[in-house]
Parts: sequence; C-alpha cells; structure tokens
Amino acid sequence: MNLSQFNKILRQVFLLPVLALLVVAGALYLQIRGANATVNLIQDADARISQATLVAKLVADEESGLRGYETTGDLRFLQPFTDAESQLQHEIANLDSIAGSDAEQRRDVVDMRSELQTWHDGFALPVIATVRGGGKTDAVDLNLHGKQLMDEVRQDLGDITQKAEQSRTRRIELWHRQVHTMLMVLLGLALVVGVLIGLFTRNRLHAVSAAYRLSLEVLGRRAEELYRSEQQLRTTLDSIADGVITCDAKGRIQMMNPVARELTGWGLTDANGQPLEKVFCIINEVSREPIETPVAKVKRLDRVVGIANHTTLIRKDGTELSIADSGAPLRDQKGEITGIVLVFRDITMERKTQEALIANEKLAVAGRLAATIAHEIHNPLDSVSNLLYLMRHGATAEEQAQFMDMAEQELMRVTQISRAMLGLYRESKAPVVVDLKGMLQEILLLLERRLAELEVTATTQIPSTISVAAFPAELRQVFTNLITNAAEAAGPGGEVKISIAPQTDGVDGAGQKLAPGAVVTIADDGPGIAEEVRPHLFQPFFTTKGERGTGLGLWVSRGIINKHGGTLTLESDANNSAHGTVARVFLATNPVINAGGD
Amino acid sequence: MNESSNLVLCVDDEQIGLRVRKILLERAGYRVLTAQDGRSALEIFSVEPVEAVVLDYSMPGMDGGEVAVKMRESKPDVPILLLSAYLDLPPEVTSLVALYMTKGEGAPALLTNLNNLLQPVSASQ
Repeated sequence: MNLSQFNKILRQVFLLPVLALLVVAGALYLQIRGANATVNLIQDADARISQATLVAKLVADEESGLRGYETTGDLRFLQPFTDAESQLQHEIANLDSIAGSDAEQRRDVVDMRSELQTWHDGFALPVIATVRGGGKTDAVDLNLHGKQLMDEVRQDLGDITQKAEQSRTRRIELWHRQVHTMLMVLLGLALVVGVLIGLFTRNRLHAVSAAYRLSLEVLGRRAEELYRSEQQLRTTLDSIADGVITCDAKGRIQMMNPVARELTGWGLTDANGQPLEKVFCIINEVSREPIETPVAKVKRLDRVVGIANHTTLIRKDGTELSIADSGAPLRDQKGEITGIVLVFRDITMERKTQEALIANEKLAVAGRLAATIAHEIHNPLDSVSNLLYLMRHGATAEEQAQFMDMAEQELMRVTQISRAMLGLYRESKAPVVVDLKGMLQEILLLLERRLAELEVTATTQIPSTISVAAFPAELRQVFTNLITNAAEAAGPGGEVKISIAPQTDGVDGAGQKLAPGAVVTIADDGPGIAEEVRPHLFQPFFTTKGERGTGLGLWVSRGIINKHGGTLTLESDANNSAHGTVARVFLATNPVINAGGD
Repeated sequence: MNESSNLVLCVDDEQIGLRVRKILLERAGYRVLTAQDGRSALEIFSVEPVEAVVLDYSMPGMDGGEVAVKMRESKPDVPILLLSAYLDLPPEVTSLVALYMTKGEGAPALLTNLNNLLQPVSASQ
C-alpha cells in the first residue's frame, strides 16, 4: 500500500460516517416535519373547540339577554343580546374559516348559522318587537318553539365541538404513532448505519493493518538483509589478504581490517579517527621522501588511483615494509566524495622473489651460454695443443713460424671470448658510458657458435659508434636474450638483422616527447608471433620454448630497459608474405636511471 | 704417403683446427681427406674408400650425430671416432660411434685411439 492509497482510506473512513449521519438527519427531518404537521392540525382542532365554545357563550348570552328583556321589558336586559348579536356573525365566520375543517364540519357550521338565524329572525326579533310594543310573550307554545330552535343551535354547536374533539383525539393518536415510528426509524437507521460504518471501517482498517504488517515485514527483511550484507562485507574485508582502510572525506580513519592493522602496527582503537598520514606513513623507498597519500591523491584527481611502485610503509614501531597501494573514492548518490577506501599489501616477499628471479635469469643467461662458450674455448685450445705437439716433434723453421701464427690466432680468439663472457657478468654500481657497437659485436662473438648451430646468419648495420650511459652487464643480458630469441625464431636458413640508429630529440607522431639516444633493432625473418600469444610476451613464466625456456627472459629484459629509462617493444607479423618479429630497444644517451627497476 | 697407409676422413667446421689435425695425422702416416660440414663429408665418404672417420660433433646444419647415422647406414664397418669440444654428449649419440673423445685430450691420445681403431680391422666393432 502506498501513501496515496492510505490517504484514500483515511478520507473514506472520515467521509462515510459524515454521509451516514447526513442521511439519518434527513430521515429525522422528514419525520419531524410530519409530526409538526400533525401538531399544527391538533392546534387547529383546539382553536375550533375554543371558537365553538366562544360561539356557544355568545349564543347563551343572546338567549339570556332576550329572556331578561322578555321578563322585565327593560332595555337594559337586552344589552347582552345586542352585544352578542353584533359579535356572533363575525365569530361564526371565524369558526368557519379555521383551517383543517372538513366538509362535514363546514356543513355543521352552515346548519348552525341558519338555525341561529331562524331562531333570531323567527323567535328573538318577534319577541323583542312584541315586548317593545307592550304585548305578552309568555305563551308556552311560543317559548317552547324558541327553546326548540335554540336546542337545535345548541345541538349543532355540541356536534361541532364533539367532532373537533374527536378530530383532536385522532390527531393526537397520529402524532403518537408518528413519534413512535420516528423513534423506530431512528433506532433502525442508527443501527444499520452504525453496523455499516463499523463494517466498513473494520474492512478499511484491516487493509491498513495488513499494509502496515507488510511494511513491517519488508522493513524487517530489509534490516536483516542489510545486516547480512554488512556482515558479509565485514567478513570479506576481514578475510582478504590485503590491508583495507576506509577514511571519511577529511582523511580520518573509520575502519581498518585485521591485515591493515597488522601491516601498520596500529590497533583499531588507537587508529580510529586519526588522520591517515599518521597511521599510514609512506615514503619512497629510494629517495626516502614522503609520498602523497592515496587519500590526498584521490581527492586531488577525483578518481581511482593505481598502485604506486617503490613505496615503503613505516610501521608504528618504526620497522619498514615494501607495499603496493591504491585508493578509490567513496561517493554518495550525488557523486560527492564521502570517503576514501585504501587497499594495500605487503610486497616485501614479492620484491625479494622478484629480485631472486632476476638474479636467477641473469645466471640462466650465462648458464645457457656456458656450454657453447666452453666449446668455443675448447676448440682453439685443442688446436694449440696439437700445434705444440707438432712443433715438439720436429718441424721446419718455416713450419714453426706458421704453427706459431696459427696458435697465436687461436689464443686471441680464446681471449676475446673470455673477455666477452666476463662482460656479461661484470657488475657496476653506477651507469657507465657503453659503446653499443662494441658491445653488440662481443655478444655476437659469444653467440657465434649458437647461431652457427641454428644455421642462422646475423648481419649488422651499425653506421657509427653510438654510446649511451648504462649498466653494461645488464644491457648485454638484454641483447643476448633478444638476439637468441631472434635466432631461435628465424630457424635454419633464417636471418637476424641487427641495427643501431641514433635518435635525436624532438616529438614523435603521437606528440610524445623524444629524448636523444639510440634505437637498437633486432629483426628476424621467422614465422612471427601468433596474435593470441603477443599479449603475454612480457609476463613472467610465459614461454613458448617449453623445457628450454624459463619464461623470464623478456620480462627481465623489459625490467632492465625500463630501469634504464628506455623502452622495449616487440612488433610481429605472422603473415605469409612479410613474416618476422622486430624487437626495438630505445636507450637514452643520458637516462634518468630508475633505480627500483620496473 | 704410400698406398698402404690408411685413408682417414676428418670432419670439422673449425678451419684452423681442421688444418692442424690434417697436418698431425699426415705426420703420423695417414692419408687425410677433410670436410668442413656434414653434407660434403657424406659425399666424400660415399665415393672415397675411407677407412676411418674423425668426426666433430658440433657443426652448423648437420651435427656429428646425424652424420654418423648416415655413415652407419651406408658403410657400417668404417670406424668413427667422434671428437667433440662438448663434455657430455647423450648416450644415443655416443653409442653410434666406435669411440668418443673430447677435444683437449691431446695429440698422443688422438693418435693412439685412431691407431687402435685401425689395427684390429675386423675386431674394431
């Protein structure tokens, strides 16, 4: 049930009783009007009775006045007669005009009037004239006749009064019935309306109550869901292996999961409400400069900020951890930042593992070359040993000179190879100026046997001496790796082209600023790299060489080149016409060495 | 170089090494033919009455093992001395040849081994 339905029910519950009461009032009004009409009729009957009484009194006055005059002959006794005579016509008219009279009653009045007229004209007036003339009026017949006439008048008046009283009685009865009916109707209506209102209200209130119950249930369920979801999130946060800290918009800590507490060394109660910088104190592991916290960065950039490299977290007890972190804004419905969530993890072990892997790969590069290098050293040594044997067992002076030349050539070759081999493993603390041309030639010398075995020809196109500042051993590792890859890809009869081109500073097609330096290109004419493989080339442990590869070569190489502030890219074409792969290494002449590596 | 001396085929991609080995064997009384790769070695082997082969293992194109297989197929009786700068060759390669020795063992060892392979002609297998 929504709010408008609820309001509708409220209106219904209010209006229905009002309507019902209006109906009851209407019925009551009709009943009362009926009863009032009856009361009016009763009043008419009363008026008729009193008017009839008045007329009867006047008639009596007339008669007694006449009798007095008849007896005494004195005019003064006739006074009541004349007084009544003058009023009577008027009062009889009044009696006749009283409302509510029926035809019979009117006839009674007409009869009474004509009889009174008869008495007046036929008895009273002649008697008065006789008395006035001094005659006698005591004759029994005459007076009996007068009495008869008057009795008829009285009879009529009595009838009129009686009928009015009968009518009054009837009307009073009617009124009683009406009042009774009214009471009954009222009672009945009240009962019906009451029951109807009760039923209706009950029905509506049931609907409201059901809706209320439903709302309560829904609310309960929501609350439970919310609780469950919160518990779920809390458990998730508690069980994930990353540290999670949430802050309010001002960067004060609200929540830390157990991993975050363990990594920072801060307890939840100590840390709660503290500014993030105090608890999550991070510095650059190389420069030891404080780093902008993810919270400040998120607020500044207004977006998710990624993992920063080479970050050291200083724990509460002062110990340090290498961490990777990221931050994301928490937003309300309007998109305003209401807080920040910070996720970080301890990468100390990861970093150590990475370092071990890189060192391992360095050894693997040397190790893979060791056999061919031993071979390269063994061959000339064998020749020298044979030459010494020949010289010892009698050779002419001319032969001696020839043998010594040959021995010298072979020893020089051994020296070159061992020098190149050393170069591959020589460590240096700071970058030194490296002649790329000389370096590549040395590497090719080491790889000569390997290339020969693979039946691959290597051609170089190195116009002039190009030098860059770099760690030479590491660069050797990269180029050895790239040339070996190219040779293995090219296969028997294939060709590897190695070239170096200087790059002057400027801006490339994409608007990227270019630093001065050199681009070393190593291209093979092998089958190319399948498209589905390309995205994985720089991932550690990804190899297409099965048992023969560690899957670390390109990953380490890119790491080394990135450390040198350079770039390593691979372009491959697996088409039939122009297949092959090109590795491009850019090295800046004076790079900013990124000491942390990647 | 008389007709009775044994004809030996030396195979090695190392130019100087091959030249020196040829001089060494010739001084020891052998007639020596040389080849710088497996393919030309097999050609010579098929047309010349070679009595023993001194074979290098690591060579571009076709390695000593493959060359030995082909030689065994055509003339199984000709002893092959596999000479390699590698120390540990797999047994499936060394089992193909009469003798396996590493470079650097010295000229006397090579001459003795070759002599041993050729003297008891019938027992050389």
